Amino acid sequence: MANKEMSVAELREKHMAAAETVNSLRERLRQKRLILLDTDVAGYARAQGRSAVTFGPTDLVCCRTLQGHTGKVYSLDWTPERNRIVSASQDGRLIIWNALTSQKTHAIKLPCAWVMTCAFSPNGHSVASGGLDSVCSIFNLNSPADKDGNLPVSRMLSGHKGYVSCCQYVPEEDTHLITSSGDQTCVLWDITTGLRASVFGGEFQSGHTADVLSVSISGMNSRMFVSGSCDTTARLWDTRVASRAVHTFHGHEGDVNAVKFFPDGNRFGTGSNDGTCRLFDIRTGHQLQVYQQQHGENEASQVTSIAFSISGRLLFAGYSNGDCYVWDTLLARVVLNLGSVQNSHENRVSCLGLSADGSALCTGSWDTNLKIWAFGGHRTVI
Amino acid sequence: MQANSMNRNQSQPATATSNADRRGKHRIAAEVKRLEQEIKYLEEELEQLEKIENASAACKELLSNVETKPDPLLPVTNGPANPSWDRWFEGPQESKEQKNLQERDGADGMSHES
Repeated sequence: MANKEMSVAELREKHMAAAETVNSLRERLRQKRLILLDTDVAGYARAQGRSAVTFGPTDLVCCRTLQGHTGKVYSLDWTPERNRIVSASQDGRLIIWNALTSQKTHAIKLPCAWVMTCAFSPNGHSVASGGLDSVCSIFNLNSPADKDGNLPVSRMLSGHKGYVSCCQYVPEEDTHLITSSGDQTCVLWDITTGLRASVFGGEFQSGHTADVLSVSISGMNSRMFVSGSCDTTARLWDTRVASRAVHTFHGHEGDVNAVKFFPDGNRFGTGSNDGTCRLFDIRTGHQLQVYQQQHGENEASQVTSIAFSISGRLLFAGYSNGDCYVWDTLLARVVLNLGSVQNSHENRVSCLGLSADGSALCTGSWDTNLKIWAFGGHRTVI
Repeated sequence: MQANSMNRNQSQPATATSNADRRGKHRIAAEVKRLEQEIKYLEEELEQLEKIENASAACKELLSNVETKPDPLLPVTNGPANPSWDRWFEGPQESKEQKNLQERDGADGMSHES
């Protein structure tokens, strides 16, 4: 009998049976995966005789503090080359910084003050921002200011039915970017036309079942991106196939606030409200490692943001309680806490990112500042 | 509206409740369809799992990739090193000596207003 000919009661029964089948299939998958998880990264690395990275007290230091925002910093992004950073703040502004000289080159007043994300275009000529207005706004940094001295919006990407939580330009393509949204979808935009090229998930397609909070595009294969959601999953997408995710990664027990591709392009990291970071393998779907600090009397804290060092050996993670752990990704040990060193931020780290050459980490905080961290100790090159 | 409903279906009264029932039925039917699609994907995944490598193979590749790439933030790293890695400590804003003095005295990192 076709569904539309069934009574409501019969449909409800069919729904219950299907839901049970889904649950039992998921359980079978989980069991099968457990068998294939013969080790995690830390177990493997220890068996290979590796030991954790050790930092001296003056090795990773804060070498710049970028002051200028008058509200919490929510997001930051580096240019793919040179030393510039765009940051977005609760004060309703984007600021473009030269991180090396600490100078501000632009201060952009946003049409909607409730900004959540910002990104630099690959050629460094434009920045994008998005937030509670459900729109992603593009600003061309070479445009003349309008009569009020503000940089005009050069393109508005409208179409999301919920807030824009995260945006990233497709590497080496100034004309395309991907957004994630509270409307449960991700969208690939053609900036020249302002139109949606593809919608991932949503009402008529298989995708996230709650707000999407974060995206990260692979640096090795720009057709692949991952998204993290309040539905506790991360999903891997191929931009050519919008109808379904390539894979759904389960494991987290809370919102997945942050996702970031691993430098080698075959893995990605996640950070969640459950207080853990995880490393997933995209080819096998395995969860390779959980990064979880044992807490004493303090409550477990939520992970707000993550980034990998350029080799992937270090995982930087910002937490809601003000910690900023530096994890040795191979040994799964915290080797430094940037939240408790000298010159650390005075409030939670909400965003972080590595410079293109990996020589500096920028952290943005609710204390309104950005800080640049670099290695100032003795380096042994082998 | 009343007349149309009566023509369409004599056995059900033309009330707001039956409209709501129809909408509710559509919703459940859509949910069932979504679940059936999910079942199909999960069965495919179970099949694929027969052929994939275990975790240790992925860990081995990971280790190799990580350890061969030069990383400016590590105390011990593969070369080649790039002199520009240390640009953050050069020039008038910040020298290594100044940095060391600041650490000793507990001052903030320097910042410049434009």
